[in-house]
Amino acid sequence: MTSYTLTLERADGSSDRVTATPDETVLDAAEATGVGLPFGCLTGACGTCTGRLLEGDIEHRRPARALKERHREAGYVLLCVAEPRSDCRIRVGADVQAELVPNPWR
Amino acid sequence: MSDAEQPSDQETDVDPHAHHDHGPEGPGYATPQAAIEQSEPEETAYVMGLYVGTDVDAPDFLAVVDVDPDSETYTEVVDRVEMPNRGDELHHFGWNACSSSCHVGGLERRHLIVPGQRSSRFHVIDTEDRRNPEMTKVIEPEEVYEHDLSAPHTVHCIPDGEILVSMLGDADGDLPGGFLEMNDQFEVVGRWDPPGEIEMNYDFWYQPRQNVMLSTEWAAPKTYYPGFDIEDVEAGRYGQRLHFWDWEAGTVEQTIDLGEEGLIPLEARFLHTPESTHGYVGAALSSNIIHFHDEDGEYHAEKAIDFESREMDGWDMPVPALPTDILISMDDRYLFGSNWLHGEVWMYDISDPSNPRKADSISIGGYFGDIREVQGRELDAGPQMIQLSLDGERLYWTSSLFSSWDNQFFPGEAENGSVMLKADVNPRRGTMELDEEFLVDFGEMPHGPARAHEIRWPDGDCTSDVWQ
Repeated sequence: MTSYTLTLERADGSSDRVTATPDETVLDAAEATGVGLPFGCLTGACGTCTGRLLEGDIEHRRPARALKERHREAGYVLLCVAEPRSDCRIRVGADVQAELVPNPWR
Repeated sequence: MSDAEQPSDQETDVDPHAHHDHGPEGPGYATPQAAIEQSEPEETAYVMGLYVGTDVDAPDFLAVVDVDPDSETYTEVVDRVEMPNRGDELHHFGWNACSSSCHVGGLERRHLIVPGQRSSRFHVIDTEDRRNPEMTKVIEPEEVYEHDLSAPHTVHCIPDGEILVSMLGDADGDLPGGFLEMNDQFEVVGRWDPPGEIEMNYDFWYQPRQNVMLSTEWAAPKTYYPGFDIEDVEAGRYGQRLHFWDWEAGTVEQTIDLGEEGLIPLEARFLHTPESTHGYVGAALSSNIIHFHDEDGEYHAEKAIDFESREMDGWDMPVPALPTDILISMDDRYLFGSNWLHGEVWMYDISDPSNPRKADSISIGGYFGDIREVQGRELDAGPQMIQLSLDGERLYWTSSLFSSWDNQFFPGEAENGSVMLKADVNPRRGTMELDEEFLVDFGEMPHGPARAHEIRWPDGDCTSDVWQ
């Protein structure tokens, strides 16, 4: 089966490379390589696993309910339900989820 | 009913003061006052510790905290029970049995039911050895999704050893939520309520002698899970209703829409005395405490305490107090609560339940708290989950609300971990004072800084027990 190279980049400049098949989620592929990423519900509802797609194509295998239209347009993806369709560069880490909603009073 | 009202009838040959010990007469205490008289000061606290929403690659855990001032390990996390998986978001938890089953011989308050708010996975932890509890059972999410429910929140032991859990979403994290029932063997029985009674769900409390249960509303999991988006409030995706159920029938009898004054009604507390129809709900976003009671066969709810928003220099909008947790002292004299954003814990005299009177408060942590550090440990978030000793003399709290909301409002909870703090309360004078000697620093856990959420004592507490 085809496999793609995923480059997972963190805010601190570090990165990991993992290989994933198109029927595998980014999260599972990372876990299989021993790269721990944040996650929660694993059903696309909670957004804990949010990453930002910098390059490449992914498809969500279940609806990405945790993301609003504006998030999807900005390239946010849910790694627990995201399958690669090409080689990808993805920003990962807990700080990506924290970007989704600002403090409304600030 | 007479058996339920007279549980001590069964223990003529035992010391009534031993009633709360594990014994053949059932768990808990005969009355709320018995809980005050017969309980010893708490020596151990169980606290939810978690890593969700951080880059610490470790599972959440049950923290066993030494709160015995005479112990050498006082204020230390003396044991941690790690969950088998990461990503659960441990949040609220509860006992397999409490005073509501105190007439059931052979039943013990011994197993903690610990749900994952995000994972929808349930853990059963045996606390027979209080300082060294053991995981005995895991119910995987698939078994929960089968009933088209997810996002477990409040766990209440209900009569006859059964367990009822409020579930905030369907299997997709959408609406409607409902209730999941478990039996005394910790097996999922199924959905407790007929689907369609409610849409949103959050906390619940039941008062069996009045045949009533109250449930409140947060939002759909897919709405609150990723963080607090003010657009969702404007779109009506957050709750503002109270549901009063027929407890026996399991159906909603009456729904009260609180409107603008009651946005995001969270914690629900009836007075402990089983005769009472009075209680309170904290409407977090509107920052009001709602008093409710039955009059002429109908429940009424009105604003009883109003916390004013405060201006922060340079910010767009005044900041609400966000009272995220409330509880009632076991003697039904005081309502305690926490204003997470402002940074305050408070106690109100509720001897006249419709007219709460402020007794005292401590301004600490959060955006406006006067006290900014304890023992040199800098504070970030304000007080959040609170728990009171059964004798009403010690109030404890932790500082994390929910991982994604922490990240939005107090990112320091992820970076430095939460704290557990304590105040000494004088219930005769109506005063409270920060105990500067007490600090449990969840920033110093072996895998890295952890958040800390709900707190419980092994012998029951002010939010665990209900009387028939």
